[in-house]
Amino acid sequence: MTAVAPVLLCEDLVVGHAGHPVMSGVNIRLSAGKILAIVGPSGCGKSTLMRVIGGLDEPMAGRSALLGTDLTTATALEREKVLRRSGFLFQGSALFSSLTLRENVELPMREFLPLPPHEVAQLAEYKLALVGLADAMDKLPSEISGGMAKRAGIARALALDPSVMFLDEPSAGLDPVTSGKLDELVLKIKESFGTTIILVSHEVPSILRIADFCVYLDSDTGTMGAYAPPKDFLSPTAYAKAHAFFTLARIS
Amino acid sequence: MSQNSARAPSARTEVLGDGSTLVVVAGDWTIHDSLPTIAFKGDKVKLRADDLGSFDSSLPAWIYVHFKNVRQCDLSALPPRLQALVEMAEKATLSAGPNAPTSVLENFGTWGIDSTHSWARAFDHIGQTAVGFARTCLGRARVNWSDFTLQLQTAGVDALPIVALLGFLTGLIMAYVGLIQLRQVGATVYVANLVSLAMTREMGALMTGVIACGRTSTSFASQLGSMNVSQETDALRSLGINPVEYLAVPRILAVTLMVPLLAIFATFVGIFGGMIVACAGDLSIEQYLTQAILAIKFKSFLVGFIKSIAFGFIAAWAGCYRGSVAQRSALGVGDAATSAAVLGITLIVIADALFAVIFNLYDF
Repeated sequence: MTAVAPVLLCEDLVVGHAGHPVMSGVNIRLSAGKILAIVGPSGCGKSTLMRVIGGLDEPMAGRSALLGTDLTTATALEREKVLRRSGFLFQGSALFSSLTLRENVELPMREFLPLPPHEVAQLAEYKLALVGLADAMDKLPSEISGGMAKRAGIARALALDPSVMFLDEPSAGLDPVTSGKLDELVLKIKESFGTTIILVSHEVPSILRIADFCVYLDSDTGTMGAYAPPKDFLSPTAYAKAHAFFTLARIS
Repeated sequence: MSQNSARAPSARTEVLGDGSTLVVVAGDWTIHDSLPTIAFKGDKVKLRADDLGSFDSSLPAWIYVHFKNVRQCDLSALPPRLQALVEMAEKATLSAGPNAPTSVLENFGTWGIDSTHSWARAFDHIGQTAVGFARTCLGRARVNWSDFTLQLQTAGVDALPIVALLGFLTGLIMAYVGLIQLRQVGATVYVANLVSLAMTREMGALMTGVIACGRTSTSFASQLGSMNVSQETDALRSLGINPVEYLAVPRILAVTLMVPLLAIFATFVGIFGGMIVACAGDLSIEQYLTQAILAIKFKSFLVGFIKSIAFGFIAAWAGCYRGSVAQRSALGVGDAATSAAVLGITLIVIADALFAVIFNLYDF
């Protein structure tokens, strides 16, 4: 019996900014259809790590493979192919400001799918309806709320039916109700499409609710502090710093 | 306590038997009063508060600033609240990492490294643009053609009024200066030759290139810089779309096509401007036009045309490059726009000088 290849594999990964390492010793092995949360104090390198494992930035050392492609040795073309099988939601949603929500979702489809315009339009409409934005399709990003922008960002990330999705602080700046709805949406995507989801978050209740695994980044040592199911961090025995972080975050 | 009863903040130092310095603070410390200055030596300091009245953030700030680099600073004799406020700042500084003063040599080294990175980024962008153009020619690039048509309008057609105004005034000024000089030798008829040749070979292209830098480069730098800030360029990359091909190629192509056309327009408007001055002086319209037609050779026209293509490319590239490397802040976008104009104009002037040498070498 052959072992199933992981969707994400990181071995002794080192990430950083402008030649300065921020986080080292990152070892992750994540199988398909799981939700991985990256947590840690502000500025510890969560988003940097996500950009590297998502193939947007180069690692400083170590190895990172996504969807079976070793991103540390991949050519630009191979990297682009992997990116097309991934979907990203950025912190500020990063919707193209001059395009309507429908056009935002249509953009990757128009570029990469061999479909006539009316079919692309139908697909875009469906993706926007999935995230509850059927009524706002023809609005510009400047005309919608932060929560709607996040959902539109998810719809665009879903445009090409990605195998893996990266969500950078999806709940940041949202009220608890909207945040809860977003959690439900993430779970629905995982369950319906079998998409692997990697998210950066500070929202401990949300992580406990949706994540299968959690990476805790230790800003004091600049290394990966722990990698385990998030419920394990509720017990003080195994991962002291991660437990303290979870406890403080839950109280606050 | 009333305002009148407040005592001025004070601090005195005393050298103790073990060589350490005792610093005693007293009085009422508020951010509205000027703070005392002290001089001390050594790396062991003990702080004490005698007759200390009320204090706000001025006292912990004073202690923090004066003693943060002292190796051994004993705060134990201070009131607990004051001690806690000083220690809180120290802890935050420690967690933020050491902030040692940098030497001139270190600053020079940092400048050298930053400059190298900056040049490397510029050459990388030139390379990416070249590859983007090659892939566009081969039909493999993903180019936003709607941006291309939009830029033909905004960088080209919309620039006509300003190009006309500046071209007209350039021709007018050249004719005016030329008339003053040529009148002294009785050769005012040659003012037409001067204006038409200068506009065709040099000023038409140069003025249009400079206008493109001021108008289009800054606009591109702001657009792409803002897209950087809002992570729109990251979003493109995450979709497997090369931002240079998608955003920069159509813009550069549009401007490289439009600047030569604008330069031709500026040339004719400039010659017309010269004619107004010349005919208001000593020349008739027929004389001016005859001399102008005689002066403009196809070779001169070609020189101006080639230059304008290069200047258009440079202006557009400078804007796209500075926008793509803009810092992710409002200040960064502003800086990108400014540096795009400066870079564009500098490169255009350098290119013009190189063209002058090359055309002179080949007697063109």
